[in-house]
Amino acid sequence: MSQELFWVLFSKKLSGEASAEEMGLLENLIQQHPEWQYAIQNLEDLWKYQPYKDFVQEEDAYMLHLHRMAELNIPFGEVAIEAEIPAKERNRLVTKWYWAAAAVIALVGLFAFGGLFNDEPERNPIAQQVNEITTRPGSKSKVQLPDGSVVWLNAGSKLTYNKDFGKEIREVTLTGEGFFDVAKNKEKPFVINTATISIKVLGTAFNVKAYPDDKQTEASLIRGSIEVTIRSRPNDKIILSPSEKLVVENNVPKADVREMRTGYIERTSLPVISTLISVNKLKYSPVDSTLAETQWVNNKLVFRNESFTELAVRMERWYDVAIDITDESIAEERLNGIFETETISQALDALKETIPFQYEKTGNKIIIHR
Amino acid sequence: MLENEPIKRLLSAIAFTNDQAAYKELFLLLHGRLKQFAYSILKSQEEAEELVSDLFVKVWEKRDQLTTIDSPLLYFYATAKNLAFNRLNKQKRQQNIRPEEWLVQLNSIYFDPEQLMMTEEMMRQIRQAVNNLPPRCRLIFKLVKEDGLKYKEVAELLQLSIKTIEAQMAIALRRIGKYMHMEVNQLSPDANNVKKS
Repeated sequence: MSQELFWVLFSKKLSGEASAEEMGLLENLIQQHPEWQYAIQNLEDLWKYQPYKDFVQEEDAYMLHLHRMAELNIPFGEVAIEAEIPAKERNRLVTKWYWAAAAVIALVGLFAFGGLFNDEPERNPIAQQVNEITTRPGSKSKVQLPDGSVVWLNAGSKLTYNKDFGKEIREVTLTGEGFFDVAKNKEKPFVINTATISIKVLGTAFNVKAYPDDKQTEASLIRGSIEVTIRSRPNDKIILSPSEKLVVENNVPKADVREMRTGYIERTSLPVISTLISVNKLKYSPVDSTLAETQWVNNKLVFRNESFTELAVRMERWYDVAIDITDESIAEERLNGIFETETISQALDALKETIPFQYEKTGNKIIIHR
Repeated sequence: MLENEPIKRLLSAIAFTNDQAAYKELFLLLHGRLKQFAYSILKSQEEAEELVSDLFVKVWEKRDQLTTIDSPLLYFYATAKNLAFNRLNKQKRQQNIRPEEWLVQLNSIYFDPEQLMMTEEMMRQIRQAVNNLPPRCRLIFKLVKEDGLKYKEVAELLQLSIKTIEAQMAIALRRIGKYMHMEVNQLSPDANNVKKS
């Protein structure tokens, strides 16, 4: 009998349900049975033990949730950046991204002969209106396109689309890095043009990294499927499956890049270079099963086995600074880590723990030396 | 352990100042547990994810009304249960499945034995003990231990009496305690030698 009572009282105690009277009763019981002490101690430890909580995964879930709220058109948060946007364009922009306070979005109407498209007059004989969204270094932004697709733009990036977006196809041009969640529409394929590659999709989520000063262009597919065409090899189509990443070397001379952007590619005029292309499996973190490629959307700068040189380029965009690494052996060090709330100085100090270096910071300029 | 007070504070911040940071904090605090709870009924990760998202859409839309709730934790679990049943109903799947048929998994039995100063063998036995609990008993144990619900809240959520919760909790702990040689003397003399090779 005393044992049954013990278990009721003991579980009440653990659950915080026991009254003072019950606690007294329990104490008495335990005193009469010192041999129970071992089990009591273990059960109390077990009770206190809380399962490991994967915060990164929870953050991902939150991001998906916000995205869903946007899709359902549920107003969330304050409107921060209305002033520069013409009223009729307003509904195209999702202005509720809570961390995007620093983002600067400029939606500019440009005319073909004056601006962007003056290198392809034949294709656009009529003045064409272009919407342009840019993010400065150090800021990010989230945009909703007229078809409901959502694009996260990383720092120092530009997304443009014509006024006739969505009439026949949904076509955008990207410089820099963007995470695309494309609304499904089988009738109207979604096409993303970058300097090196062109990506055609029907409805899916993926990340594209195409900074002009990077050595490589990358496309990482999260779900769905996408079809990639390399501009220097227009006849080869590469179909990516989920969790695959395409990396293309950007070793095309500048003059040709412009020519390709216009869509007039003559194969004979191409320099004889073998474009290096590789398709790799995306590596999910063994710890929290996240992807380094898309963590910037969660406001995290994640680097896995990156050289300091590569990381410095990303930090330049992330923090809007210029970094000069004067020592070659330091530049080649490989690094792993995450920056989230750190300031640039805190980030550098953290790196100093791993690699011994000194740095001087004057304004936005940082010099790193041994 | 989860408690109602911090949740109430977050709900107030959301209602009165549209505090998005509080909204996010609340989501991060509850998402995993609610998803697992929804999963136990729906048996689909995708649907469970969607359900939790739906629930938090409700939280945002009804934020003004949620500040007066006495037990928000119960509100969240009860709403999750209702949403799950509605989904099953719509899909003409089984209706109002009884807690005995829920798929309940405990997370906190997957621990590093060294951390709790236990032997591997003991940990293995604890896991087995928990996994062998009758389904309803395991559900109650999880709701109290891992989800932080009070006996009263569990009773209301599952439409059971508080006495039942009390008894089920005692059963769960007694079964686990067995493997801590609590009842060595009362069990058969060779209890200690029952080991599989």
